[in-house]
Amino acid sequence: MGKKLSAKSPATKPVVKQEMKQKPARQQATQASKKEGTMERVGIVGYCQIKPSLDLQMDRYEAAFKAVRGALDSANLKRKDLTSVISATNDYYDGRTISNCFTVEPSGSYLKDESKVEMDGAYAVLYGMMRVLSGNHKLVAVWGGSMASGFPYEVTTLLTTDPTFDRTKELLNIMTAGGFQMRAYMEKFGISAEDIANIAVKNRKNAANNEFALPESQDADITVEKVLESGVLSSPVTELMYSRPCDGMACVLLAPEKQALKITNSPVWITGVGYSQEQYYLGERDLSKSLSMENAAKMAFKTAGITNPKKEIDVAELFEHFAHEELILSNAIGISEPGSQSEIPVNPSGGAMSGNVLCATGLVRIIECAKQIKNEAKDHQISGAKRALASGQIGFCAQNNILYVLEGGEK
Amino acid sequence: MVRKQIEIAEGIVRADYEYWVGKYMDKFYEGLESQKFIGIKCPTCNKVYFPPRKVCGDCFKTIPLEDANLVDLATTGTLINFTATNYAVSERRKKKSEKTTIIGLIKIDGSDTAIITPVLETQESDINIGMKVEVVWDKKPVGSPDDIKGFKPAGGT
Amino acid sequence: MAGRQVAIGGAGFSAHASKRSDVNMPELVHEAVEDCLKNANCDINSIDSIVFGNMPSFEGVNYPELWMTDEIGARNKPLLRVTTGGTTGGSIGIAGYYNVTAGLPGIDTVLVIGFEQQSCGDTSIGLASVAYAEVSAYTKFGWSMEKNSKFFGAGAAIGIASYQAINYIKRSGATEEDLARVVVQNRHNAAKTWWTHLKMPDLTIEEILDTPYISYPLRYGMVTPASDGACAMLFTTEEKAKDFTDVPVYVNGVSSVSNENAAMGYAGSGTGQLDPCEQIGAVESAKLAYSQAGISFPEKEIDYIEVYSPFPNQELQWLERLGLFEENTAHLRYRDGTTAPNGELPVNCSGGVNSTNAIGASGLERIAESALQIMGKASNQVPRTVHTAIGHSWGGTINLVTLMVMSDQQKRKWKGGE
Repeated sequence: MGKKLSAKSPATKPVVKQEMKQKPARQQATQASKKEGTMERVGIVGYCQIKPSLDLQMDRYEAAFKAVRGALDSANLKRKDLTSVISATNDYYDGRTISNCFTVEPSGSYLKDESKVEMDGAYAVLYGMMRVLSGNHKLVAVWGGSMASGFPYEVTTLLTTDPTFDRTKELLNIMTAGGFQMRAYMEKFGISAEDIANIAVKNRKNAANNEFALPESQDADITVEKVLESGVLSSPVTELMYSRPCDGMACVLLAPEKQALKITNSPVWITGVGYSQEQYYLGERDLSKSLSMENAAKMAFKTAGITNPKKEIDVAELFEHFAHEELILSNAIGISEPGSQSEIPVNPSGGAMSGNVLCATGLVRIIECAKQIKNEAKDHQISGAKRALASGQIGFCAQNNILYVLEGGEK
Repeated sequence: MVRKQIEIAEGIVRADYEYWVGKYMDKFYEGLESQKFIGIKCPTCNKVYFPPRKVCGDCFKTIPLEDANLVDLATTGTLINFTATNYAVSERRKKKSEKTTIIGLIKIDGSDTAIITPVLETQESDINIGMKVEVVWDKKPVGSPDDIKGFKPAGGT
Repeated sequence: MAGRQVAIGGAGFSAHASKRSDVNMPELVHEAVEDCLKNANCDINSIDSIVFGNMPSFEGVNYPELWMTDEIGARNKPLLRVTTGGTTGGSIGIAGYYNVTAGLPGIDTVLVIGFEQQSCGDTSIGLASVAYAEVSAYTKFGWSMEKNSKFFGAGAAIGIASYQAINYIKRSGATEEDLARVVVQNRHNAAKTWWTHLKMPDLTIEEILDTPYISYPLRYGMVTPASDGACAMLFTTEEKAKDFTDVPVYVNGVSSVSNENAAMGYAGSGTGQLDPCEQIGAVESAKLAYSQAGISFPEKEIDYIEVYSPFPNQELQWLERLGLFEENTAHLRYRDGTTAPNGELPVNCSGGVNSTNAIGASGLERIAESALQIMGKASNQVPRTVHTAIGHSWGGTINLVTLMVMSDQQKRKWKGGE
């Protein structure tokens, strides 16, 4: 008999305007804290998302240009103000080696100090953040994305496997790894497929309120039955429980505290980050939990001074490759009890399920949190959100996770 | 009025790769030739790895490649997880086929690691986590992972 | 705290060869990691985070660090992957610097790892895939993709280098003999460095000029090899550096200013590269890194340099663009011994990329060898004391450059970020 998850999936519009619990008055953070064990705040001062599509009618150069240009425009800044650009692309996704060398011009990096992180965009934000904290750079653009319409994503995941054994068998890929992970989670906690389908329902309904969601992911009328009957991806995962890859691009602008306050009235602050990588071998990992996210959260919370995430965090945007993974990641972060749903709103944008743009998905989670904090999330705004979590990941069963604590809302 | 014209240029570039397996995996491949499962034991923590590895991840120490550390394992194991799919993902493409493949995570008896292979001669509704399985060898052993066709439910249970 | 001084505590290598058939990729990288930890007198527990890079098209493996998590000591540690093609080694070194100077709580010591096992694949295809999509347009003019590949094989690294060489020769009056002299010096140096690939202590200029042209004016004897190998370095804080080494090497300037790619008018590129040896990116990178490091007269203040020159003409061009020799005179400095190990400005005493080229590691190896020269621990240690040294790398479609300026003195405070 399965444990029933509390019914958090909203049924009617407006979908995710959830009641805010009473919170103790939080102290106004003034200057950057120089306390031992914290980090200086880095500001997100602009952003731009290209609406994802199953077939974006533009090449990656045009998309990169639109994303970076859009981010600069959103902050009323010019290319000359940039001192560094970090890209997040992957050679296999782009079908070419050195995937950043042709994007120098369209991404505004010509004669700028430029580099590339070959992981999810959230990790590129980490590197951009480090460049800001170094004192060497006063405005860093971080952009990334890919065009899933142009390459077979699941094949590129086969290419990450051990070529001396796993790859020869052609059995391990992102879908089958997801199948193992979901089964392990269900077995461990006695969760039913319906409970997991509820997360897919929530995210697809939330996507319907997100103007930047993939149209195919938006479904205000979706039901648990529809998710369960959508066909097997890799048992027990069904097609609608999978965050399918699509085309897109996104960009954020980062600045040190002093510059951020000059650029905008409402910077969004990164106050903590943590990241960690687990081992490769699935048979030696406990797939019902996420050790890497536990470690990432520990590191991020320690830096941001968070001791009780359920009470101190208002909203979380997590990169969930599968519906069940959202539950696993919430557990690991500590915003839900093991085997249960989160006690704070997760993925009001619809999460990765609303549009999984490889190399941009984690970056978009950061943008979504920034929107929440600035009260710009429109139809999926969580009212009063001031402190948020954003995550990115890479690898089978989220082998490597990164988690950000973002705060703001100051005038 | 601009007429939109789309030209498609098609071509295939062959990129072949050959991987050195290293001396430790060599032992595994050699073992397959005689239909044996060869693993390796870390002398520091006694963890047994199958297939053999040079570095024990728990200790971060090199396991000396000596006969004393090599372990002759049984060709049976326990099914610790499984998934079934109609998607076939090769190095070239992803295809949906009529055939359902059951894929198992199988912990080999006597080792502390699991391998991923097909689960054969059964259906998804008949398998459960924890069941005992035994290897199904390919007809002609050549000393490569292809020799392991998969695992099937062990006779008797 | 953020913006803090960074120091290099150690470096390590695996043995490099054209085919390291005795190891698989994780084992190859593990050798370099072990060597680095041994040289830094520490174990993996001293490492707080890892930066990893390679050029993934060469092995046909996507995100190889996921597979080799245990072998690189990354288990349950923070890991960042940075890849920028040929400059990967330089970029991961720079990322290692930023990892430390960012001052994130708990991240003081960073292990930077780069590798390549090029014998797993076809190097020319790995290189040519930089622009298969772009040149596929030629199939519309009757060329098959196979012909494209062949044409492109010449166009990729070799072709770019020969355009640079022709322009450089015209500007400077350097001769083919000068190019061969650079190769001879590098291969002799490689013979004295333990981890290198092409050790040729008896190579002569005549032998090189006796080989056929591969792409005028470059001959087969001048070409860089494709190597299997790995390199690892330890970056840490000023305070902790003494735990790892007697002579901490301070990282005082880093830059990676990118230029336009080589395709004129494509994807927004403007002027194109009329003179491919002009290398504005290198000139700007040098300006930025030198100003961070407080270097006003590079030709006087730099004691040692490792430049990234798979082809000999590039070595000459970099030395000029980075401000070490006057325009069009670098070839003279090879004739008069200035760049020899016992000269006034020794260059590439490890043999450089012309002798060993495991692409993901080669940029890092330039930084590592320069750091080792400052520490006094290089295989082919120069007689003069090295206080300030540079590790440089180059790649992309001629447009990517990285620089790291290192010294045995901490940097004076730079206000550039305000």
